[in-house]
Amino acid sequence: MNGSAFHSLEEALTDEHYPEVDLALRRGRHVGRDDGTMYEYLVDAQALLETFYRRFGCELIQRSDGYFYLLPSGDRLGRRQLSAGEMVVGQTLALLYLDPATLQHGGVVGREALLQRLSALLGIDVLVRTLDPRRMRRGKFDERIASEALRTKVSEALRRLAELGFVDALNDTQLRLRPALMRFAEPVRGLDDRSAALERLVRAGEVVLDGGEQEPEDDAGTDEAPEP
Amino acid sequence: MATPPSSDPSRVIAALARDQVNVDLKTVDLCFLTGLYLRADRASLASFEEEVLVDLFEQVCDVVEPGAENPRKRATHAIQRLREQRMLARVDGVGIVRAGDYALTTLAAAVVQYFLTDEALTRESLTLLTGTLNAQLADILTAARKATDEASWRNKVSGPLRVTVSELVSGIERRQRGLDAQQEELQAEIAKLLQSDWFSAVDRCQSVLDTTTSTLDELNEILLRDTHLFIALLQEIQELATAAENPDAEETIQRVIEHVDRIAAWGSARQQAWSEYYQYVHRFLRDVVRLDPDRALSQRLRDQLAGWPVARFSLVAAHAPSIRLLRALEARVERPPVAQPRTDREADPAWVEPENVHADIEALVIRAIADGAATLAEVSSRVLAGLPESLHYAAAGRVADVVGRLARVHAEHERPWAAVLSRMEVEDWAIDRRDAP
Repeated sequence: MNGSAFHSLEEALTDEHYPEVDLALRRGRHVGRDDGTMYEYLVDAQALLETFYRRFGCELIQRSDGYFYLLPSGDRLGRRQLSAGEMVVGQTLALLYLDPATLQHGGVVGREALLQRLSALLGIDVLVRTLDPRRMRRGKFDERIASEALRTKVSEALRRLAELGFVDALNDTQLRLRPALMRFAEPVRGLDDRSAALERLVRAGEVVLDGGEQEPEDDAGTDEAPEP
Repeated sequence: MATPPSSDPSRVIAALARDQVNVDLKTVDLCFLTGLYLRADRASLASFEEEVLVDLFEQVCDVVEPGAENPRKRATHAIQRLREQRMLARVDGVGIVRAGDYALTTLAAAVVQYFLTDEALTRESLTLLTGTLNAQLADILTAARKATDEASWRNKVSGPLRVTVSELVSGIERRQRGLDAQQEELQAEIAKLLQSDWFSAVDRCQSVLDTTTSTLDELNEILLRDTHLFIALLQEIQELATAAENPDAEETIQRVIEHVDRIAAWGSARQQAWSEYYQYVHRFLRDVVRLDPDRALSQRLRDQLAGWPVARFSLVAAHAPSIRLLRALEARVERPPVAQPRTDREADPAWVEPENVHADIEALVIRAIADGAATLAEVSSRVLAGLPESLHYAAAGRVADVVGRLARVHAEHERPWAAVLSRMEVEDWAIDRRDAP
């Protein structure tokens, strides 16, 4: 790569970083500055790869916060929408990312701090309804057992968010927050009305709207396979 | 270096655990010790009379716990407590004859120094320390070149290395820890500044970041340059010690080398950690604070989350399944069915002699009675004598049956046991000969 832009698509595709970056992007990973040479490669090859990926029916998006991701705009590449649990955990992490207190530890937060923030922001009832709707449908629940189940659900959501490049799991107790978390704040970033911002994001294919109080069968998100 | 050669960490820890060593100091104790330390420092006192201790404790008590009852008694307890904690030592040795003299221990001095001294590594202190260390090592090298016997190695090389050089290196390390603590405070301060002033704090944060970065760069540069020099000098002394076959000096030098390596490693590790922190904060200031000067985003995001159960949306991400790796082609192997070898367990019939022992019994009984046997025992003895011994027991019952059927028998109320051959007895009957067959 030698720190300079590529002259042709062939050159970009034969670069040693291409296979790793391509696989990561197609699996939904957000590649950021923390990814080092992968990010540098994308910056260098951006112009060539944008047209390349457009042929697969998807857009290579770069955000000013310092990350790239692939957004499917057609049906050629599979897509998935994040589950309700991932969305709630993601938004809370974005809030922690914006908190100056997180700066003190260089963007590292504990899982306990996340759980406390989640509980303070949403309350146990909403959390159970969002993360573990089956338990809610069964009626009255034991708070202790529900808390244990919530921890498990939050861990699952974190694992998926880590796969998508929103956080790095440093160990069993600590997470490093990544700039891609700002995607969760996208509907409220501008000065315009939130509904209008959401409409714009829906049109762009960035988000899909859920049916309000509708409760999904499980918390695994929704996958759409590509057309054969 | 600070560790004596004989001290094995496991043994030291085991000994501390065995003695149940602990330090438990309350605020009033710490203030009391600090007061003693400062008074000793100003008045150049080596020890304190008990009365002075009590007076000072009362003064400290007035500040820390105003209105506390019976301060004199409390002072006595505090002195006793601090002696048990190895903070105060009695130095007069007259026991209970009169009030004693007390001195602060090294432990107490170290604890107080920690709270009093603000020793962080600075360019000035580091340059001074490394310059002195350099001169000391050069002197030791000269002494090592001239050392001819064990005593000169011990007094002019190992001794100064253990004491002077170790103290200097420890001084650098102590100040490094001081700088670590300072940086931690600085990070908390940056967070606090942004928390309170947000956008207005950007320039101050930037300035703090830049100052610390340049300080660390300078310190690391000095450390890299000077530690390289120290190591070269120490290795030269070590080579001389090896040539002089002085293992004690070699070991001492090795420890100093390791210590110097440690302070050099500190420099690069801290610079790396600070660089990561710097980049993170810098990005935060640029991407978050500057773009959201009113700090409205956090509130809007909080509102979005609060309204979540009603207005939900989901982010979309690419999700290409993993490439399927097909297994390599293999020829299908026919597995033989599970089976067991067949064997013909049917044996061919064979001709044997006919067995009619039991049928013969009746004839033998008739003959015995006819021959004059008058009791069951006599009949049994005569019949069983002609049969194989293995059949005697079963045949005895049949004999009794035949006798009972074919002859009239009489039994006494208490039937007597009568011997049959050598190994059997039967309850005997008398046979009435009138009805004999």
